[in-house]
Amino acid sequence: MTVELEALGALACSYLERQPWYQETVSAARAASGAARSGGASGPAAGARGGDGSAIEVELGEVIRPGRPGLARFVLALGELRFQLLVGWRPAASAAEALRGGESALLGPCTDDDGPVLAYDALADDDLVLALLTHVTGGAERAERVRRMPTLASHHSLVFDERLFMKCYRVLERGPRPEVDMVLKLDEAGFNALPAPVAHWRAGGYDLALVREFLPGALEGRLLAMTSLRDLLAHAQAAGSAAGEPEAPAPGSAAAEAEAEADTEVAAAGGDLASEMRRLGATTASLHLALAQCFGEEPAGRSSFARALRREGVDPEATLEKAGRLEEGTAGSLVRLHGDYHLRRVMRSEAGWLVVGFGDDPLYGASDAGSSMGHRRGSPLEDLADMSFSLRSAAREALGQRSPAEMATASRLAQAWWRRNSGALVEGYLAVEGAARLLPSDPGARETLLAAFESARELRYEATPAEA
Amino acid sequence: MQHAFRQLAVPAGAGAGAEPRTEAGATPRPLLDDPRWYERAVFYELLPRGFYDSNDDGVGDIPGIIEKLGYLEWLGIDCIWLLPFYPSPLKDGGYDVADFYGVAPDCGTVDDVVRLVEEAHRRGIRVIADLVLNHTSDQHPWFQESRSSRDNPKADWYVWSDTDQRWSDVRIIFCDVERSNWTYDPVRQQYYWHRFYHHQPDLNYENPEVREAILSVVRFWLDRGLDGFRLDAVPYLYQYDGALGENLPETHAFLRRLRREVDRDYPNRVLLAEANQWPVDVVDYFGDGDECHMCFHFPLMPRMFMAVRREQRFPITEILAQTPEIPEGAQWGIFLRNHDELTLEMVTDEERDYMYAEYARDPRMRRNLGIARRLAPLVDNDRRVAELLHALLLSLPGSPVLYYGDELLMGDNIYLGDRDGVRTPMQWTPDRNGGFSRADFAQLVLPPLMDPVYGYQSVNVEAEMRDPSSFLHWLQRMLAVRRQHPIFATGGLEVLPADNPSVLAYVRSGRGGIEGPERSVLCVCNLSRFAQSAQISLARWQGAVPVELIGRAEFPPVGEEPYHVMLGPHGFYWLDLEDWGQP
Repeated sequence: MTVELEALGALACSYLERQPWYQETVSAARAASGAARSGGASGPAAGARGGDGSAIEVELGEVIRPGRPGLARFVLALGELRFQLLVGWRPAASAAEALRGGESALLGPCTDDDGPVLAYDALADDDLVLALLTHVTGGAERAERVRRMPTLASHHSLVFDERLFMKCYRVLERGPRPEVDMVLKLDEAGFNALPAPVAHWRAGGYDLALVREFLPGALEGRLLAMTSLRDLLAHAQAAGSAAGEPEAPAPGSAAAEAEAEADTEVAAAGGDLASEMRRLGATTASLHLALAQCFGEEPAGRSSFARALRREGVDPEATLEKAGRLEEGTAGSLVRLHGDYHLRRVMRSEAGWLVVGFGDDPLYGASDAGSSMGHRRGSPLEDLADMSFSLRSAAREALGQRSPAEMATASRLAQAWWRRNSGALVEGYLAVEGAARLLPSDPGARETLLAAFESARELRYEATPAEA
Repeated sequence: MQHAFRQLAVPAGAGAGAEPRTEAGATPRPLLDDPRWYERAVFYELLPRGFYDSNDDGVGDIPGIIEKLGYLEWLGIDCIWLLPFYPSPLKDGGYDVADFYGVAPDCGTVDDVVRLVEEAHRRGIRVIADLVLNHTSDQHPWFQESRSSRDNPKADWYVWSDTDQRWSDVRIIFCDVERSNWTYDPVRQQYYWHRFYHHQPDLNYENPEVREAILSVVRFWLDRGLDGFRLDAVPYLYQYDGALGENLPETHAFLRRLRREVDRDYPNRVLLAEANQWPVDVVDYFGDGDECHMCFHFPLMPRMFMAVRREQRFPITEILAQTPEIPEGAQWGIFLRNHDELTLEMVTDEERDYMYAEYARDPRMRRNLGIARRLAPLVDNDRRVAELLHALLLSLPGSPVLYYGDELLMGDNIYLGDRDGVRTPMQWTPDRNGGFSRADFAQLVLPPLMDPVYGYQSVNVEAEMRDPSSFLHWLQRMLAVRRQHPIFATGGLEVLPADNPSVLAYVRSGRGGIEGPERSVLCVCNLSRFAQSAQISLARWQGAVPVELIGRAEFPPVGEEPYHVMLGPHGFYWLDLEDWGQP
């Protein structure tokens, strides 16, 4: 009745093969499986062929919108990998206009019932992207304008009328995708500190797209942290130049005094962030309580902490000894974690803090997946440590922008800034009713473990600096 | 009699002086028959005792205000709000009224008020006055009669009780100085109810005679030409068992009755409510457009200061997001400072601590739950911050209310008791007593400021009039710009996303005039003391060529990409998006 699907599928396969993001995904997967097989035979063979020489196959082709412009979706397979490609077509003349010269999106010539057409990557065509939104939301949402955000290998990010946000996945996963699963369940459980999901496109056992509200006024937590640090460290500049030579590091009680002085100065600074961090701590606590409600909760203990630290490549003995008693009942809980919880994953909006980036846990599926739990659980301290480390990184980054002359004062202030704000984060967390049970009850143990997880994050960060 | 202002040297073309504009060749400002004038008005709050002393007795007075009307006309304000001038023992800045029908002898006479209104109207300026609904002074004859026995004709005009344990949940507003809302009266041997100071007994609105008495007061002053009232402490009129004594339905019913009577008999008047509550509760005082015309937006003010200190916009955008829509014909009153303290009753405890830490390290600056400081000392006399805050005040939704002296960046005197620190005399000249009065210094109602930074020798009207780059001239120009663009008064508000937390961007849009075309003005503010850049999402205005409102300079057209602005420290732009869609 419409386009020649089979010809279109062939075009789709060769188009996919040419895409850099596809090649990246394939080589990453190959490297992972190669590592798993510890030096298997698969070399750095280029191109679309699988390690075993297999080619891309069409697993499914389906017309979503017949006519002109038309829209079809394909699921393409390479070995275990699955990719989604949305293909559109128009007569050659109108295709050129719709793609505005974006020739890299062209798949090639094809025919439909009415004659020859040009096929192309449908996400380059505004009309088809708008049609896709209507399709994905079952007709509930229509938009007039689409804006494309920088695309990642795993998905396209589309903003409609500055009001709705669609993640359209390119690399598909079998079964519920962690992001979709978490967002939908948390929303259902009444956790509202996330951009509310609007629609979810799922077919043939794959999550294909997720539409949620878009909050244009919301800003990454990192920006607030940098604003606060800018204010503080500029203050140090003024104070430092007034005081003349920076003092030498003071020993003993004098050092403690200098530390206390820095604490006072940070607390008095105009751009103080502590109240925001207390609010973020409270939001984090509600997140973990909701995750416990949705995905279960079990008591943490000495062995769970040992396992978690070991997974991070840290020898747990010294830490656990210092942490002291960690029996079940006093060690807090294990819950599903956010797993990639840092200042770029939290947004400050007019309504308070929002959490994003669900399903980005780099450790998800790494070791515990496939276990009876089906997903990773850990102590909420791990997420808190992530955030605390992120605060520390922000302080370092801000410090890096200052001149060497003011470094002595500035680094003391940056250190005090981190102490104050990471303390406020935990304080805000514990102030939420019911949240204290999630963490080890002994403050000393809590601090020791938090510090241990934080330095583990630092090691991981140093190993893969691209994470930030 | 002195006409100090007339002697000033005024820059050519400033149109200043005590003379009305007609004499300078400008058109007079007729008082339009406009029932919604208050939506577009700039208010100027002044203290009659502290403004200008016309009879050399050391106390500012109503005839003194008449003498200075030329200055106010030049400044460009639309309505004077008079702080209480009624006879009073002055234990609470005149809010302890001892006679609703009179004028305190040191302030003038009822005839003076009538003349002030007439003279102001000739210059296109309206006049409203404070009216205290909730209570009287304990010196008021009504109270004296009420306390004299338990069965006199006014025995039930106030709220009496045999116990001081009733309604013990009701919060104490002046918690620094009052321990209870009840005070024992040894004459009547009963307790009387007071939400404010113990010398201000609350009137009993359950009693219909009280309601009629207050409505008679309203009629008396409207008959004498006043353009309306600023209604003091409206949430507290009623109290009864099981309620917290605030925002009760009976209070709203009384306000509806008051509005009905005013609308029926007195066109073009305004009722401006002081309801120091969260915006969601305050909107109730607009009713369905059938209670007060205006209400003060209290929480916005501390948030503006906080945003500048934190160098980020969320303190402001949060409170704007929590501000509900208001009925057609209703308007917010917004302000930076007023005669009371920086109101902190409604910020959270944490934010209150923060405000204290930032602005009031000296405990003497703390008053009740607020901070008794004027604008300039509050911002460390930073002119750029003062300009930024005024740019916000003049462009956010609501009618701006200026506080006398802040147009000069006058200072305060924290060593004066109570709230007098921000009520020192207006500084007119560098001469004796700051040109406020020719009385002996010792005779003055309050000592004028004489410190090196804010004293009248350096901060005064004469000096700032001579200096074309003074803050006074800047503000006068900004008021003129605002007047040309009624969109600031009546336009809708939309906060726009900007990718920099230190930048606040919003659009005021709608039909500026009754028949005018659709207009949009983009306001961009840098809340930081450092230069900033930001990308602002202006997709809807694609094709518009922004024109800066004050200098009419063209900015690059709005394209598909987010709009890029660069702002100097504490800088701001008002950009007209008028040419939207035109070639």
